[in-house]
Amino acid sequence: MVIIPLSAVTRAGNRGRWPWIVWLGVLAIVTVGMLLVRNRLNEAQVALVYLLVVQGGSAREGRGLGFLLAGVAFISFDWFFLPPYGTLAVAKSVDWAVLGAFLLTSVVAAQLFERARAEADIARQRSAELERLSIEREQLGARAEHADALREASRLKDAVIASVSHDLRTPLTTIKALAADLASGGDERAMIIEEEADRLNSLVADLLDISRLNSGTASLNPEPNEAEDLIGAALQRVAGTTVGREIRVAIEEGDPLLIGRFDFPQTLRALVNLLENALKYSPPSEPVDLGVRRDGEWLAFSVSDRGQGVPAAEGERIFEPFYRKPGLPPDVGGSGLGLLIARALVEAQAGSLVYEARVGGGSIFTLRVPAIDVDVLAGQ
Amino acid sequence: MAVTTVLVIDDEPQIRRVVRNALGDEKTRVIEAVSGAEGIDMAAAERPDLIILDLGLADIPGVDVCREIRKWYDVPIIVLSARHADAEKVELLDAGADDYITKPFSTSELRARVRAQLRRARTTPLGPANSLIEAGAVTIDLAKPSLLRDGNVVHLTRIEWDLLRTLVKHAGRTMTHRQIFDAVWGSSSYGDAQQYLRVHIRSLRRKIEADPVRPRLIITEPGVGYRFEP
Repeated sequence: MVIIPLSAVTRAGNRGRWPWIVWLGVLAIVTVGMLLVRNRLNEAQVALVYLLVVQGGSAREGRGLGFLLAGVAFISFDWFFLPPYGTLAVAKSVDWAVLGAFLLTSVVAAQLFERARAEADIARQRSAELERLSIEREQLGARAEHADALREASRLKDAVIASVSHDLRTPLTTIKALAADLASGGDERAMIIEEEADRLNSLVADLLDISRLNSGTASLNPEPNEAEDLIGAALQRVAGTTVGREIRVAIEEGDPLLIGRFDFPQTLRALVNLLENALKYSPPSEPVDLGVRRDGEWLAFSVSDRGQGVPAAEGERIFEPFYRKPGLPPDVGGSGLGLLIARALVEAQAGSLVYEARVGGGSIFTLRVPAIDVDVLAGQ
Repeated sequence: MAVTTVLVIDDEPQIRRVVRNALGDEKTRVIEAVSGAEGIDMAAAERPDLIILDLGLADIPGVDVCREIRKWYDVPIIVLSARHADAEKVELLDAGADDYITKPFSTSELRARVRAQLRRARTTPLGPANSLIEAGAVTIDLAKPSLLRDGNVVHLTRIEWDLLRTLVKHAGRTMTHRQIFDAVWGSSSYGDAQQYLRVHIRSLRRKIEADPVRPRLIITEPGVGYRFEP
């Protein structure tokens, strides 16, 4: 850190030349005073008094005034106190030595005072700087405490959500079970109750996931998994909602094997979410395409539909919480958190989820997870 | 026909009532324990045909109840869990549970799982008589061993046979990755080597399943393991 002693630069400017005049006045008064008692003074005493004035001026106002006072005192000394009086001539050669010593002492003293002052200035600056830093640190400390409190509050909120979600499951089980009993007797209203209980349950699950992902406590366990296995599990998961719908599967054949490092259940959740969206937002007559291929260092799963797609301006907004396509009724399934959760789940395991418009109309969602190369023979 | 006894271990009265309503009839007696300790005692005293165990017990962790009962009593145990935590499911299956159901479940789902476990418990262990499995176009003879698909012989590697045999031996029960791996490769080198399990499941499915991406015989239990559905 560089500290510029600002006060040294601006001192003279700030306070003007008045001190200099005062100090020259002091020098004049001292000279007049000594002149009155000149007969009782020797050279050493005069030199000592002048030196005091010069050093006083140096100490107070710096090297410049010190040098000036030294010069004026030198001349006054010679003129008034060294015989012959009233001239600059010097009678005894030893007086030259006295004058020389006086001048040298004055200048060196002025110089030393200047250095001491500069150091004092720097010290002052540093102490001011330290004070400022300590205040800043205090403020930072207060801010950190605030952040801690916020984090704690957020953690508490997540704990509450988790506990509420957990406690909601028991009554939901009862409701669902009783509704199912009634529905088996042919009561259509009971079927609706059961469906709504399921919907409530998936909302609870979504909220729980969001709170886990936000608090960084989602337990993801990426390990080697096989693409076809994931596709099969996803198709099985959506089997109930795909009656009469066609899902075309395209799995890239050949080397390398389609193995990736991903958390199977959570990636499945993301993929199922994409499939459900594709089925929900496209006409029943149009098939949904589900594919997987090796894409460089990625394993790329894609879900493509022939729905209305997303307006170009809204491309990224679909990943925002509670986003709904304009014009859609608010009760078209889902919590509005699905895509957000899907993306967060994939990104938490070094993958990605992107949307692009499909040529000819519709959407393509591509989910990428890290691919790994497997030597199959090693397992034989 | 003999009466089947089902023991429910759950400290939530509502859940006990749901299970009682779902399962209790003239052929099934449902007995209830309100804590883990009581559950262990009742299992010893009553020797039920099946146990339904809630994980969220106040006194003893469900997994410990499961382990304790398993030490001296070979009975189907179905676990109820409120959480979608796969690690927990794996731990339970490794501790000897036979199946798990996540809350909220439907009564029909519960009945189906209970029936499947009771049926499995009653069938005799795999012998020459029932080593022949016919599923769609595929005929598997584990005793020979041979695999016919549309009348044609399909070759399986040694590992594929070991894998298939392991799954069939525990048909209807989800086996964890760890259990399958230990049975086929030995318990030496788990970890990243589990990727071989995935690869061999894929090749096995391609040989025995009519449509390998819509498997009917080898079912994936996400995050847990695989199950053979006869």
